[in-house]
Amino acid sequence: MAGVILKAVFKTFGKTTAIKNFSLEIDDGEFVVLVGPSGCGKSTMLRLIAGLETASSGEIYIGDQLVNEVHPRDRDISMVFQNYALYPRMTVYENMSFSLRMRKIPKAEIERIVRQTADLLRIGQLLDRKPGQLSGGQRQRVALGRSIVRNPQVFLFDEPLSNLDAKLRIAMRAELLLLHQRLKTTIIYVTHDQLEAMTMGNRIVVMKDGLIQQVDAPDAVYDQPLNRFVAGFIGSPTMNFIDCRVVSEKGDLYATTPGIRLKIPESHARHAEKYIDQEAILGIRPEHLTVSTNNRHLDAADRFKAVVRVIENAGSEKLVHIRNENDTLVARLERHIRLKTEETVDFTARMDSAHLFDKQTEHTIF
Amino acid sequence: MTPYGQKSNRVKWIGAPVKYVLFTVMMLTWAFPVIWVILTSFKARTDIFTLPPRIFFNPTVEHYIEAFVRSSDIARGTLNSILVATATTVLTLLVAVPAGYAFSRVTFRFRNQLSFFALMTQMAPPIGLIIPYFFILSRTGMLDSYTGLIAIHMTLTVPFCIWLMITYFQDLPVSLEESAAIDGASPFAAFFRVVLPSTWGGVGVTAIFAFIESWNEFLYAVVLTGSRTKTVPVAIFSFLTTEESLWGPFTATGVTIMAPVIVVALFAQRQMIKGMTLGATKG
Repeated sequence: MAGVILKAVFKTFGKTTAIKNFSLEIDDGEFVVLVGPSGCGKSTMLRLIAGLETASSGEIYIGDQLVNEVHPRDRDISMVFQNYALYPRMTVYENMSFSLRMRKIPKAEIERIVRQTADLLRIGQLLDRKPGQLSGGQRQRVALGRSIVRNPQVFLFDEPLSNLDAKLRIAMRAELLLLHQRLKTTIIYVTHDQLEAMTMGNRIVVMKDGLIQQVDAPDAVYDQPLNRFVAGFIGSPTMNFIDCRVVSEKGDLYATTPGIRLKIPESHARHAEKYIDQEAILGIRPEHLTVSTNNRHLDAADRFKAVVRVIENAGSEKLVHIRNENDTLVARLERHIRLKTEETVDFTARMDSAHLFDKQTEHTIF
Repeated sequence: MTPYGQKSNRVKWIGAPVKYVLFTVMMLTWAFPVIWVILTSFKARTDIFTLPPRIFFNPTVEHYIEAFVRSSDIARGTLNSILVATATTVLTLLVAVPAGYAFSRVTFRFRNQLSFFALMTQMAPPIGLIIPYFFILSRTGMLDSYTGLIAIHMTLTVPFCIWLMITYFQDLPVSLEESAAIDGASPFAAFFRVVLPSTWGGVGVTAIFAFIESWNEFLYAVVLTGSRTKTVPVAIFSFLTTEESLWGPFTATGVTIMAPVIVVALFAQRQMIKGMTLGATKG
């Protein structure tokens, strides 16, 4: 097993730069997820580590070895592709043993390893089948098995779950985590699904336009996004963004719109001070909006009125689309709360969990 | 039960017979000459030109015996055709499979221009090239030689087969080779152990196209071969002379020429249609 070190990696295709100045140290045994919208360069980065593409500049280390010029087969990595890339004319056994046969491992040894891995993945009964005779979930396991048998230094996963249906995807997510706990091999995992990233990674690397936006543990990325993009990308439903104005009144700061006036908590106020009388973007996650219950509460500095437009009942919760003047927001409410469309309701925002972003740079103010 | 539904049912009801009548007319138009040739080849000499033509008659194989036993031309021509078509097919595959793979996977300068050039050579009418080909073969002493005819047939088969193979390789995900590379295979091992086995169907269809093209080819064969190497489409003309037309042996030979093509077409129908649409549809 080994860690991976990426130093100032660039990758250009013709005139477009797919990867810009990518630097990251991945520890041995870590599960790192590269996440971002399509075209952000996450798959390209994975292919650079695999050796399927060559970096335009920068250094890629696997373990202590600089691998920029090393052929994929000599990098001691294995990769699971989005379409699994199972060899269609080979049986499951032949698929799984291919890399071992290529490395001239003795037959008996191959047999032992493949059977053991197949048992681990519960595909022992499928060894004589061809990929075409397998279901999506089974193919996924075979692809995993093929990458495990060699016991590589690093696993590379390129959107391995995105061809599975929703139910199977959740099951495989847990299974991959169990597998990682068991094998303790470094995993670099690419996905466009922020939920997958949140649930699976020790660390998440959020990318956009070939640039790293933020690298951190899932909770940290969720709670302290570095910019508006990360705040909006991570979390579903997405964070509410409201164009506002920072105003100072009697020593307190407020984020105001024509219909909303929310007090910025004192703990955050000092970050917002230099934005007084300027435009900014207020970010509030849907779960940080609740229906105000205590009508006698005099301090209304965290409240606003809004009209209920649409109610999405998700069973365990309700997603309520509300409108205040020109701003549309989504609130995630508990299922028992009864609302009617077109009803005007008093909402409370948990301002200590809210964020403020610079309107020009979109960097996080707090 | 809506009026619309009733109407569409009625249209279907009327439509079905019309459809089948049209199909039958089309089929017969295509099949009539084939059926005529097959029937004639089994008719006794005296039955061939009776009017109206007899559909029920006592079949005989005398024409086949006449064609293949009494005239040495046809037997030899058939052997020549088998030899030339087989050699053309094998050599074509040896060129077209690697070339198709290179065109579909490797980026190199002028790749698109080159592959289009290969296709363009197909557009030149063969009759226009026959004189230069004749001179080339006569200068190199390859007139009436197997090598010469096979080489010329390859000018017909190779470009089209390259294009066929390009589409088959393009249908194959690149990740297969990438996966093989990561698994430890050299590019050659990846090609022979993963790529080629995954495109056997395409190679088979390409082989069939090459074989049929060479097997049916007449124009070059008639000019560039002589008594030694003439193929069966050329040899068949020995039955049509200024003195007499031996329709019986002629049609018997015709059936022999058509038989392998029809059999192959029936068995490989689906794969060949896919080949002819040139990858327009996926799988």
